[in-house]
Amino acid sequence: MKVWQFSEQAYHPAFEVPGAMRVTLPQHHCDPQTAGQLLNRYLDEYLLADELGLNIMVNEHHAAATCMSTSCMTTLAILARQTQNARLLALGIPLANRSNPLRVAEEIAMVDALSGGRLEVGLVKGASYELFMSNRQPTGFMDRFWEAHDLILAALGNEGDNFSWEGEHFHYRTASMWPRPIQQPHPPIWMTASSASSGRIYGKLGYTCATFLSGAIARSVFAGYREAYAEQFGRQPERDKLAYLALIACASDRKTAFRRAEEMKSYFTTAARLDPQFRNPRGFNPVEANVRMVKSDPNAMRPKMRNGKPLPVDGSIEEYMEAGLMFVGTPDEVYEQLARFHDETGGFGNLLMMGQAGELGHEDTVDNLTLFAREVAPRLAELTDVPVEDVRYEAVG
Amino acid sequence: MKESFIAKKEPWEAMMTATALQELDFGTISTLDVLGTDVELFTAGSGAPLLFLHGIDGVEGAAPLLRELARSYCVYAPWHPGFGASQRPENLDRVDDLGYFYLDLMAALRLERPTVVGSSFGSWVAAETLTKEPGRASELVLISPLGLRTSHRRESHVTDIFMLSRRELNERIGRYEPELSALPEDRLRREMRGEEALSLYGWSPYMFNPKLSGRLHRIVCPTMIVWGADDRLVRSEYRTRFAKALPRAEVREIADAGHCVHADQPEQLGKLIGDFAGVKNKA
Repeated sequence: MKVWQFSEQAYHPAFEVPGAMRVTLPQHHCDPQTAGQLLNRYLDEYLLADELGLNIMVNEHHAAATCMSTSCMTTLAILARQTQNARLLALGIPLANRSNPLRVAEEIAMVDALSGGRLEVGLVKGASYELFMSNRQPTGFMDRFWEAHDLILAALGNEGDNFSWEGEHFHYRTASMWPRPIQQPHPPIWMTASSASSGRIYGKLGYTCATFLSGAIARSVFAGYREAYAEQFGRQPERDKLAYLALIACASDRKTAFRRAEEMKSYFTTAARLDPQFRNPRGFNPVEANVRMVKSDPNAMRPKMRNGKPLPVDGSIEEYMEAGLMFVGTPDEVYEQLARFHDETGGFGNLLMMGQAGELGHEDTVDNLTLFAREVAPRLAELTDVPVEDVRYEAVG
Repeated sequence: MKESFIAKKEPWEAMMTATALQELDFGTISTLDVLGTDVELFTAGSGAPLLFLHGIDGVEGAAPLLRELARSYCVYAPWHPGFGASQRPENLDRVDDLGYFYLDLMAALRLERPTVVGSSFGSWVAAETLTKEPGRASELVLISPLGLRTSHRRESHVTDIFMLSRRELNERIGRYEPELSALPEDRLRREMRGEEALSLYGWSPYMFNPKLSGRLHRIVCPTMIVWGADDRLVRSEYRTRFAKALPRAEVREIADAGHCVHADQPEQLGKLIGDFAGVKNKA
């Protein structure tokens, strides 16, 4: 299993400000000196991950204290030059919120060239609540995403003449990548899924499919992916086509690990702090999805614990562990928890590890990453495939 | 019917005219084919023809005013494409397009020169329609109109309803509504379609067409602008700008009414429209 270090790069001093952490939080709460120090600190932790043999994942958000990385590719442009071996994953670039996909393709090509071909690219739709900042139309979100996707891939892999693009949403007189990406026809593409049906779409395309903090749902996402992949390509996908994201708090003693987990838990509680009307802008969801959502139990979308009960946002560390969103303990314990989860979900080849989250400080993060890389990662690498017939499919999503 | 609709049969298409809309029990709901697009149409009353173009609260929301108008007029109140159970052609996505669409709809209904009344978003639609063929209305009434520039740089003249929760919006426009989860599914689906359509037409530029101000001079029929004195969406600067853009229009303000004058003061507004449009002369 490949392990990827990930931090949302929060401006955690703002967590004490009452109210929303996204969209409406005024920027005067941000002290730019502190922000600069924190950003540099998170980059140092990414450099450490590279030294420890881990890979690197970055994301982006907008108008949020929970994530100061406002551009995946800006962050990765730094890491492309300062790291040596790590694969560099942008997960992801929010295409439906971007106005200029050709610019996205250029940034991908440039970072791939800079890094010597170590880039991996998550093409994601983007957060609904960030439509308020991008001001792109909420309607047509998916159409725009797929057109941008088609254009970016056409541009990255083009070996013929320059081309023009006259689409529904995007229009270019000429597309020409200088530089081109080293990885041809394009760096590995990732997408994110939270249901079996979206897993199926990505399985058919053969992209790497990641599911974030979804607990038991991961099993059905992966099952959907495998099924569609096998139909399309006539064989089972390699496990490295599947990825799971969770928080990891590892320490040489259990007590320290749980303290770390408590400090990381504010990731969950702050991510949820958003005025509800921004979560689902008018016109964003298809009408039928909205009808279903209004009529369904508000807990239906929450991850479930092993006892089937929904995980409360302010749940205990143990409850987060029961839902498969946090893995906490000594290296042995964390390994055992991950190996169990790996088998329960039918196996996956990438662990997207939030080794820093919320308010976890630098020293703790360094120790967490170091212990994990030295004592857990090598054992995870030896996990074997789960025989497909042992995977019980669930009719979810 | 267009292929795209056959290919994507949506649940709402089955509900066309099937939903019980008790507030509209004084008229009839039917389906009108406008060049291949099925539009849900409410008709009521008899007399001179009056075309009513609904606002952010649908034809349903204007029921109190329509009841008044139906006493003297033959009222035609279609749901805009994308609202209620009305289809929306795939490439109809600007209010400018709606302007052309309503010329076709008037032709389909054989309405020569009806009185045209719009409220809120529907006033914008009415203005777009009549800038294209100014001779198509005998009179025009714009209630709480939108459609002109709603902000100037950092100065905002119309509250951004897309930044409000549905509850906050209801409070501001004085609409009573039960929890959405308590609505029957058909009714909920209509509401969700309305939200989607409003977002499509009004998200950006926010509730205006930058071209409209340069076209409004084409409206030559007698025009009346009506505002609720307590409108909590539209500020006074905006009203001033609207009056300047239509210098010959009469401007009336109705006390104890908010943005939805049609729901807040239906009798007074009905009488005002009747007097303005000279219904007695026509009868």
